[in-house]
Amino acid sequence: MKITTARDALFAQLQTVTRAASTRSAVQALSGVQLLASKDGIELRATDMEIGLRVPLEGEVVREGSIVLPARLAVDVIRALPGKEVSLELRPVEQDVEILGGSASFYIRTLRLEDFPPFPEVEGDVVEVPGDAFVQTVNKVARSASRDETRPVLTGILVSATADELRMVATDSYRLSVKETKLSEPLAGAFEANVPARALQELTRIVQHESADILSVSVRANQVVFSAGGVVLSSRLIDGQFPNYRQLLPDTYEHELRLEGGEVTEVVRRISLLAQKNAPLRLAFTEGELTVSARTPDVGEARETIPVPFAGDPLEIGFNPEFLRDGLEAVDGDVIIKLISPLRPGLLEAGDGSGFQYLLMPIRLNV
Amino acid sequence: MRLIVARCSVAYTGRLTAHLPEALRLIMLKADGSVLVHADAGGYKPLNWMTPPTAVIEEGETITVRKVKGEDQLEITLHEVLSDVTHTMDFDAARLSKDGVEADLQVALADAPHWCGEGFRLVRREWPTDIGPVDLMCRDEADGWIAVEIKRIGTIEAVEQLSRYLERIRLDPAKADCRGVLAATIVKPQARVLAESRGLTWVEVDLAVLRGEREPALTLFG
Repeated sequence: MKITTARDALFAQLQTVTRAASTRSAVQALSGVQLLASKDGIELRATDMEIGLRVPLEGEVVREGSIVLPARLAVDVIRALPGKEVSLELRPVEQDVEILGGSASFYIRTLRLEDFPPFPEVEGDVVEVPGDAFVQTVNKVARSASRDETRPVLTGILVSATADELRMVATDSYRLSVKETKLSEPLAGAFEANVPARALQELTRIVQHESADILSVSVRANQVVFSAGGVVLSSRLIDGQFPNYRQLLPDTYEHELRLEGGEVTEVVRRISLLAQKNAPLRLAFTEGELTVSARTPDVGEARETIPVPFAGDPLEIGFNPEFLRDGLEAVDGDVIIKLISPLRPGLLEAGDGSGFQYLLMPIRLNV
Repeated sequence: MRLIVARCSVAYTGRLTAHLPEALRLIMLKADGSVLVHADAGGYKPLNWMTPPTAVIEEGETITVRKVKGEDQLEITLHEVLSDVTHTMDFDAARLSKDGVEADLQVALADAPHWCGEGFRLVRREWPTDIGPVDLMCRDEADGWIAVEIKRIGTIEAVEQLSRYLERIRLDPAKADCRGVLAATIVKPQARVLAESRGLTWVEVDLAVLRGEREPALTLFG
C-alpha cells in the first residue's frame, strides 16, 4: 500500500476518525486507524466496537492495500510533519509504515490488520433526514441521557422518525427530554431505535463539520448506520425496553406560567453558584413573584426575586440546579413552567411551540 | 498505662540511628509493651516508638526499650520529670464500632439486593469460592447468576478481586455466564473504567438510603 496526500487533509480526517478509536480495549488493533487504499479511493476507519467511523480522504493511490496505524501516534506524527505533501508506504518485511513529509521520515510499526473488524455498509431501507433538524433535535435532548452504565437502556436516545416528524426522547430517570421536530417534507420511510447518546453526539459534530444537508439512516436488527457528507458512522443499538415516556408526562398541572426564558435562566445560573455539595435550588412562588434561592452550609447563600405571573397559594419547590439549568438552556425564547406540587414533577416547555418538553423531578426540601 | 511528662532526649539504634535532643515530651508506656514518645505537634504520630513485644529496662534516669526480636533499641534519658503517673485502663479493644463499613453495607444490600441491579434476588451471602468468599451471590429475573463484591470505596483492587472470584466461579459450567457487580459507596473513576473494560458493572449505593434513614432521590420512574 502506498498513498500520497495533503498533510492538512490527512491530519483533519485523522482527527475526526480517531474519536472512534478505542482508548482502553484489550484488542490493540482497536486503538488504531485503518487506512484503506483501493481503486475507489482512500478511506480511514476506526472503531471501539460501540461506534465505528469511516472517513474519506482525498489523495492518490499509488499502490492498493490496507494498514492499521496506532491512532494517537499517527495524529501526533502527521500534525508535526513539515511540508504540505505526505506519503505513506507499507514496508511488509519490516512490518512498518514509512511516512515521509518534507525532509522528515518516520517508520511506525503497524497493528494487526486481521484483528480489525469489518464495517457495515449503508444498505437496505435507507431513510434520508434533514441534517440540521437531526442535529438540533439531538442537541435538545442529549443532556438528559443517563451516563449510568448500570441502566444501559437509559444511556441511549430513543429516535423515532415517521412521516413529517422527527422525535427524540432521553431520560436518566430524574428528568426527561422530549423534542418533536416537524419536518418541512415527509420522510420516505420510518424507523425507531434506541441509539447510544455518545454516538449521536459524535454524529452531530460530523454533520456540522461536513455541513451535510442530508443524513442517511439505515436501521438494522442491532445496528444503525448513518451517512453524512461521505462520512459513515455506525453504532450498536441498545437492547431493552425504553420507558414509556408518554405515561410519565402528567395530564394536568396546578400552575402554568409563561416566563422570559433568558431572564430566568440567568437568575438560575447566578444563584446556582451557591447551590454546591448537592444543595437544591429553591424556587419559592408567591403572588406575582418568584424567589430563587440557594444555601450551602459553610459556604454561603444567595437569593434573587423576579416578578412572575403566579397566583394562588404559595408554592416552594426544590430542583437539582444543574438539571434545571440544562432544561432552561435548551429552551429558546419564552419558557412555560408547569407545576403541580413540591413532590411532583415540573415541566418546562418551549413557549414557541417548537415541540420541546423537559420534565424534571424535584428534590425534597427538608425545611 | 504509664504516662511520663519529662524533659528528655531519645536515641534510637537499629536499622538506622536517630537522636532527639533534649526537650519536654510525653512518654507513653503501654501495658502491652508499646512505647511512644510524643511532642505537642506533628499530628497523631509519635516522634519515636517501639512496637511490642519489647523489654523495658529502667536504670536510674535511663529507660531502655529493646525489641525482643531484633536489634532495635530506644534509649530515653530523663533529664527532668514533671509528671509520672500510671493508670489502669479498661480492656476495650473490641468495643470500637464503626458504622458504614463493608459489613454494614453487606447486611443492607443482602436485604435489598435490587440496589445492585434490577430484579436481583439474594441466593447467599459469603458465597464460597476456592480463593475466598464473594460477598453476595444473586440471581436476576432471567435466573442468571451475579456475583456482587461490596466495598466501602470501590478501587481498582476491588475490580481485580471481583475478576478473580468470577474466574473461579465461571469454572462451573452452570455459572459460566455469571456476571459481576462491584457495589460501593464510592466507585473511583479508574475502577469504573477497569470494570467496564472487563464487562463488569459497578453501582454506587448510599447506606443511609439502604437503611431507610434517608429518602432516596425522587425519580420519574423506578
